[in-house]
Amino acid sequence: MIYMDNAATTRPYEDVLDTYMNVNRSYYFNTASIHQAGREAAKLLEASRRQVLDLMGLGNHECIFTSGATESNNIAIQSVLRHKKPFGRTMLISELEHPSVINVAEAMKDEGFNVRYIRTLPDGTVDMRHFAELLDDDVVFVTVMAVNNIVGSIQPIEEICEALRQYPRVHFHVDATQAVGKIRMDYSEVDSISISAHKFHGVKGIGALMVKEVKTLSAITYGGGHEGNIRSGTVNLPGAAAMARALRISDEELDGSYTRVTAYNRRVRAALDGLHAIQVQPSGVPHIMNISFTGAKGEVVVNALGSHDIFVSTTSACASKLKKLNETLLAMGNAQPVIEGSIRISFSSQTEDMEVERLITALHAVHNEIGDVLK
Amino acid sequence: MIYDHILVRYGEITLKTRNRKMFINALRQNMKRALSDFDVELNAHWDRAYITLGDEAPDAVMDALENVNGILSVSPVAKLERSEAAMKDTAVHFADGFDEGDTFKIEVKRADKSYHLKTFDIQQMLGGHVLDNVPKLDVDVKHPDHQIMVEVRIDGIYMYHEVRPCIGGLPIGTGGRALLMLSGGIDSPVAGLEVMKKGVEIEAVHFHSPPYTSPQATEKVKQLIDIMSKRTGADIKLHIVPFTELQTKIYDWIPDNMSMTTTRRIMLIIAERLAEQLDAKAIVNGENLGQVASQTLASMHAINAVTNFPVLRPLLTLEKNEIVAMARKYGTYETSVLPYEDCCTIFKPKSPKTKPVVEKVEKFESKVDFEPMIEKALAGIECYSVNDAEENEAFKSLL
Repeated sequence: MIYMDNAATTRPYEDVLDTYMNVNRSYYFNTASIHQAGREAAKLLEASRRQVLDLMGLGNHECIFTSGATESNNIAIQSVLRHKKPFGRTMLISELEHPSVINVAEAMKDEGFNVRYIRTLPDGTVDMRHFAELLDDDVVFVTVMAVNNIVGSIQPIEEICEALRQYPRVHFHVDATQAVGKIRMDYSEVDSISISAHKFHGVKGIGALMVKEVKTLSAITYGGGHEGNIRSGTVNLPGAAAMARALRISDEELDGSYTRVTAYNRRVRAALDGLHAIQVQPSGVPHIMNISFTGAKGEVVVNALGSHDIFVSTTSACASKLKKLNETLLAMGNAQPVIEGSIRISFSSQTEDMEVERLITALHAVHNEIGDVLK
Repeated sequence: MIYDHILVRYGEITLKTRNRKMFINALRQNMKRALSDFDVELNAHWDRAYITLGDEAPDAVMDALENVNGILSVSPVAKLERSEAAMKDTAVHFADGFDEGDTFKIEVKRADKSYHLKTFDIQQMLGGHVLDNVPKLDVDVKHPDHQIMVEVRIDGIYMYHEVRPCIGGLPIGTGGRALLMLSGGIDSPVAGLEVMKKGVEIEAVHFHSPPYTSPQATEKVKQLIDIMSKRTGADIKLHIVPFTELQTKIYDWIPDNMSMTTTRRIMLIIAERLAEQLDAKAIVNGENLGQVASQTLASMHAINAVTNFPVLRPLLTLEKNEIVAMARKYGTYETSVLPYEDCCTIFKPKSPKTKPVVEKVEKFESKVDFEPMIEKALAGIECYSVNDAEENEAFKSLL
């Protein structure tokens, strides 16, 4: 099997699984218990938290462990918007966001908030000029992801921070789920950041919301008051420790893997160059490639590659079961056949040379196979 | 050496009846921690505890137990086969170590009433044997210099003579939790250790004002925590509060002669809130009546007015030289006198009021909104404990 759907989820590092098992074995205590064992567990939790913040370059932020980025995004958007309601009712959001951001924003309309979408440039990044036009005194919340999950475009986070310096009331939220382990970015001025461990070789079911001012957050589900009363429920310590470790390994491997994955990206691009009815979207991070077989359906290409034992996806796993056109590709100004015929290939630090070679061979074979329908 | 057990006698635990088990459990935990470096077996019973030594040296094990709160005394014990010859040999072995002209007595406990020799028979036999073999000694049954203890039990005969006094008191953790205001001076560590004697678990709070106070001053406080933790076997947590912003605000807004009072009041407010968070039931400090301007009755009255928490001052009426002697005994003195500036010394006014009036202080304080700065200081607290270094090492393999 050649797994190239790493933007959907990754295989956990062996060391990360060791940590997960060992913590379950030796620190299975409730971090909220006041007995010695509970306090030891709490210390491990704090050490994990510290490590996550330090590796993210967020020494002055606070970290709340959640079940993943979807929950982190929900907490950030819902609670901050409610907190900011007296100051304004408008949120700005890029068209490129993940459903765990877009759908929350849309739901917040019911509470009287206005949601304005920032337009997208053809290269898949937000249009900063349009962003500047949308900014006004009623804006209290801006959310733009760090790296897009469909095409891998890198968003101008630092530039947005700079623009927002004149709007101190605005809370800037970044969903960094697809960026971690792929590219280093400076989030130090961002008000809140979401991450999910399983996207960087951690285990599923753990993520974090890192926040500059924890006061701006409040609980959206209620319970025993864990994680600073923001996210109740017995803390997933094995997951948190495993995430801290996954983040450390990802960080150590990043520079080497970035160079390697960049070479993979170039090789695939070169191999597809000039082929009839093939369109490759511009890449931001080299890990994510979006390729269209114009005239075919993405699903057909995915299945055809599957018969070569290569696993990729159409658009994103979270959206691929929805029958509508992908918002990101649409926002980038792509024509309908390009969108319908698109697949997403996503590499990881564990992807090997041989696998890329086999991918290229398979892409050529599939191109031949379905040549009749391509236009 | 012939010793194979350590006998541990309880301190004030023996005054407890219905809840004694809780105290014994706490003591067992604390002894375990103090003995973590040794490969020994610990059995804590209703009235005493036994430690089976294995290959460990009795002196080292007793040293480790000396400062565990709740232990009255310890004795190294030899376990013998139930024979007269073994008892005689051991009694002479003990007696050989006594000084010329000392007196002794044989004390016998027959826990196993079926043993063929009666108490008096054993006393007579061993007393006579010692007198015959160690002529430098005399018997005195009323006020002996040494007691040779013989306990006859079913599994053997236990003999000992040496009794090493320990710190006594109650096991830490049985008396609830208190927050110690730890400045880094001589008094506050002693105050903390005194309260711990009564079984109270301590967490400490320290205020630092970088860049006015040096990192060394904070390091010094951490060292004090290390010393106190090591001495008591407790894992004392230190909460370090960033105080610069408040300190400079006070300096700017409160008249010089009252700034000290306000500083102490705000520190106490922060301590109270932290204590609430930690579920601590009291605040402890090293105040000593009349020692300095902030420790006069009038000052205590003005400062204490900000809290309803009990503020414990175990050193209240001691002489300074008594406190110094205690600090030396506890091993904190040398560290306490290291010459680093703390926030008390840097912003010290020239002539602070020795009789501040609450209403006047409040009037000046009302001109400044300290609340957001207090919240910020609380939010900026950093934690330290003696286990940090070791545990981070332990966690390293996991993270």
